[in-house]
Amino acid sequence: MATESSESEEEGKIRGGNDKLIVDDDLREMSKNAAWSVSSSKPGNGVNTLRDDNLETYWQSDGLQPHLINIQFQKKVKLQLVVLYVDFKLDESYTPSKISIRAGDGFHNLKEIKSVELVKPTGWVCVSLSGTDPREFFVNTFMLQIAILSNHLNGRDTHIRQIKVYGPRPNPIPRQPFHFTSMEFLTYSTLR
Amino acid sequence: MEAMLVDCVHNSLRHFVYKNAIFMCERLCAEFPSEVNLQLLATSYLQNNQAYSAYHLLKGTQMAQSRYLFALSCFQMDLLNEAESALCPVNEPGAEIPNGAAGHYLLGLIYKYTDRRKNAAQQFKQSLTIDPLLWSAYEELCILGAAEEAIAVFGETAALSIQKQYMQQLSTSLGLNTYNEERNLTSTKTTNSEDYSPRQSKHTHGHGLKDISGNFHSHGLNGGASNMTFYNTPSPVAAQLSGMAPPPLFRNFQPAVPNQNSLTTDSSPKSTVNSTIQAPRRKFVDEGKLRKISGRLFSDSGPRRSSRLSTDSGANTNASVATVSGNGNNTSKYLGGSKLSSLALRSVTLRKGHSWANENIIEGVRGEPFDDSRPNTASTTGSMSSTDAKSCDQDDETMSVGGTSLSVQRITIGVSEILCLLRTLGEGCRLSYMYRCQEALDTYMKLPHKHYNTGWVLSQVGKAYFELIDYLEAEKAFRLARQASPYSLEGMDIYSTVLYHLKEDMKLSYLAQELISTDRLAPQSWCAMGNCYSLQKDHETALKNFLRAVQLNPRFAYAHTLCGHEYTTLEDFENGMKSYQNALRVDTRHYNAWYGLGMIYLRQEKLEFSEHHFRMAFLINPSSSVIMSYLGTALHALKRSEEGIEIMEQAILADRKNPLPMYQKANILVCLERLDEALEVLEELKEYAPSESSVYALMGRIYKRRNMHDKAMLHFGLALDMKPPATDVAAIKAAMEKLHVPDEIDESP
Repeated sequence: MATESSESEEEGKIRGGNDKLIVDDDLREMSKNAAWSVSSSKPGNGVNTLRDDNLETYWQSDGLQPHLINIQFQKKVKLQLVVLYVDFKLDESYTPSKISIRAGDGFHNLKEIKSVELVKPTGWVCVSLSGTDPREFFVNTFMLQIAILSNHLNGRDTHIRQIKVYGPRPNPIPRQPFHFTSMEFLTYSTLR
Repeated sequence: MEAMLVDCVHNSLRHFVYKNAIFMCERLCAEFPSEVNLQLLATSYLQNNQAYSAYHLLKGTQMAQSRYLFALSCFQMDLLNEAESALCPVNEPGAEIPNGAAGHYLLGLIYKYTDRRKNAAQQFKQSLTIDPLLWSAYEELCILGAAEEAIAVFGETAALSIQKQYMQQLSTSLGLNTYNEERNLTSTKTTNSEDYSPRQSKHTHGHGLKDISGNFHSHGLNGGASNMTFYNTPSPVAAQLSGMAPPPLFRNFQPAVPNQNSLTTDSSPKSTVNSTIQAPRRKFVDEGKLRKISGRLFSDSGPRRSSRLSTDSGANTNASVATVSGNGNNTSKYLGGSKLSSLALRSVTLRKGHSWANENIIEGVRGEPFDDSRPNTASTTGSMSSTDAKSCDQDDETMSVGGTSLSVQRITIGVSEILCLLRTLGEGCRLSYMYRCQEALDTYMKLPHKHYNTGWVLSQVGKAYFELIDYLEAEKAFRLARQASPYSLEGMDIYSTVLYHLKEDMKLSYLAQELISTDRLAPQSWCAMGNCYSLQKDHETALKNFLRAVQLNPRFAYAHTLCGHEYTTLEDFENGMKSYQNALRVDTRHYNAWYGLGMIYLRQEKLEFSEHHFRMAFLINPSSSVIMSYLGTALHALKRSEEGIEIMEQAILADRKNPLPMYQKANILVCLERLDEALEVLEELKEYAPSESSVYALMGRIYKRRNMHDKAMLHFGLALDMKPPATDVAAIKAAMEKLHVPDEIDESP
């Protein structure tokens, strides 16, 4: 599970953020197998800045709200965590405030699965996609859409510096129903 | 002046002052242009790692030694085609391969790297027939999987042929001692006992031992004696010599040397020897030294002892070709304890302790007679005389050619001891490459302690345990290997994999650091480093390290395989496949690469391919239970579940400690709806691995199918207690929720 992002008393509000990104070991980044697109962007601040591992560069939208970031996978994948790097101190009115995360098979049947409000975030903000139900720990979907509904100080456009999406590690042993946990099994489970 | 320059060059080479050697050699070639001198210059360049210079120098030369050196430079520059055409020219199909065993070995390597394995195996075999002590050739045969049993290779024939070689050396040194004119020397050597007619037909040309084998079956004493006849010494040789006076040389020595075996006393005869025959012998000796050094520096090629024997350059030629008698039969009569063999043994034992793989031993053994430590040669002669004196109680036969007969016996003993050792090691090596690991381990156990506790043997033992998936024992063996030879990198990549399997990250990172500081340019060090990162799940860095290892030596199959593993973990299947295929291109019998390909296909659901690849891996290593269990999984996926179960049974039998085949068998049984049998198997497994969550999870599933809800709940709960990763937790919790709901169809994996 993702680590300490200070939840405030209200449900769905996230204050602050982390300087360092620390994610659980059994999660891994899924973004490589995805196609990323945005609803609009200013020239020079395009979608690639979201994936360049550089916190200096940012994506700047250039249109009407809601601003959309679309992440499409080639096949259904299990996702657990979305992490954004936003900084109120640097971006002020460009900092997103209300975010809605939607999932579905394509543009036609996206459904909101999570909604959060950021309050003056300053770093990595982790948004877990799990539902309350233990069975819905992961979201199994073709497509994820991150919608910026509003910004701080009512800004029109938004800046986001980096986005990462996490899902579970696949079973190292293919065609196995469960993971192996004990040393005896793990030692014998693969050749190297 | 020419002689002086040549001397100077040899001196510099002997002392590893390459720049001087190259400079002097250039003067030599300028002043006295000749092909021999060109060869010397090329040798100097090769010693200095300037293969390109040697290449340009020797392009187009025809002499055998030149062709060999040229081929070597081409090989080092990776121009395999040219190397091959140099060694066996296309327009002369019957031409002799220069330098006998070493030449064949080089040619074998070229064939191996250009994918002509049958030819390669042939060449290695030939190389071994010419020179049975060329261990590298045997090892290559083992790697190709084409090795015959060690007993055959290092057996009688080998013994005899080595003895022959030694006889030559012996007679050579004797011959040089007394007679200046080398040409006649060889021509007079005979191998016949009864009729020691000098074989003048025997040419002095460096055609290696091939001709000698013709004379192989003669029983007489070494021709060394017979050459004496030519030199006005009154000692013709006969098998049953009686009262033959030893050649005057020895007679000179005899009074001077009371019998002992100390080297120091031999120095007296040495001085006499030296004074008389300084010039030619020195050249001879230096030549030998030169080759000894050059042999040592080529880590790849084996000892070019035979080059010393069969080269046609310099003084050595004639000496080497001296025909030799198959003395085996007679010498058994003679007293043992000869110095030559003890010398040989001593050098053997001394050097075996270290880098056995370096063949320095052979160098040492062979080199002894030629050493610049003249005592050796002198001691041979001296000892001959000493043993002369000693053997008074023997029949006069022993007296015959002075100690040559006794040294012959020493030779026999030495040879038999070497071969005995090589037999054990060879058999062990062969078995371990055939992956009959338990047998290999037993064979290695037969070695005497001093040999067992050497780096090479211990790392082979470690490898064998690794293949048996006994990682703890493997770790022990490798640790001892590191203690025995802390600077050897052989087999350290496997050690790092063992530590990876045991999840010992401290030890692994320590090993990696040590290896890198020992040798930054060895692929094994980077493999270890990569394994270290991979254990910490930093696959990107691990991949970088493995790619570096590949860059350093693209012919190191394991580095490719490890790259493949990392690509697969990163889910980059295309590159993973390419890496595995590269590994297979280097070494078809690298079963890990076959296994890797099988795994990729399994993941991609290309089940036919997957089954084929697992089967190939299985054919190469039929005793690995892991491969068998994956083969079974693939078969089950192909709906050939019965065969799958069979293979699982085999796997279970092959290695009782491996829980995986049992678990997979249970899986298959569940899919076949044979739930009771599955439960049985799982109960057994529970005993063996009580903290394995997947076992409980599967049992829970079975109970659910059987509608035994309480038991199902219990087992699911137990499974959760074992802290499986999140996906499993989700799956198990989901299953628990749906307990009272009829089973869904999509529950199977």
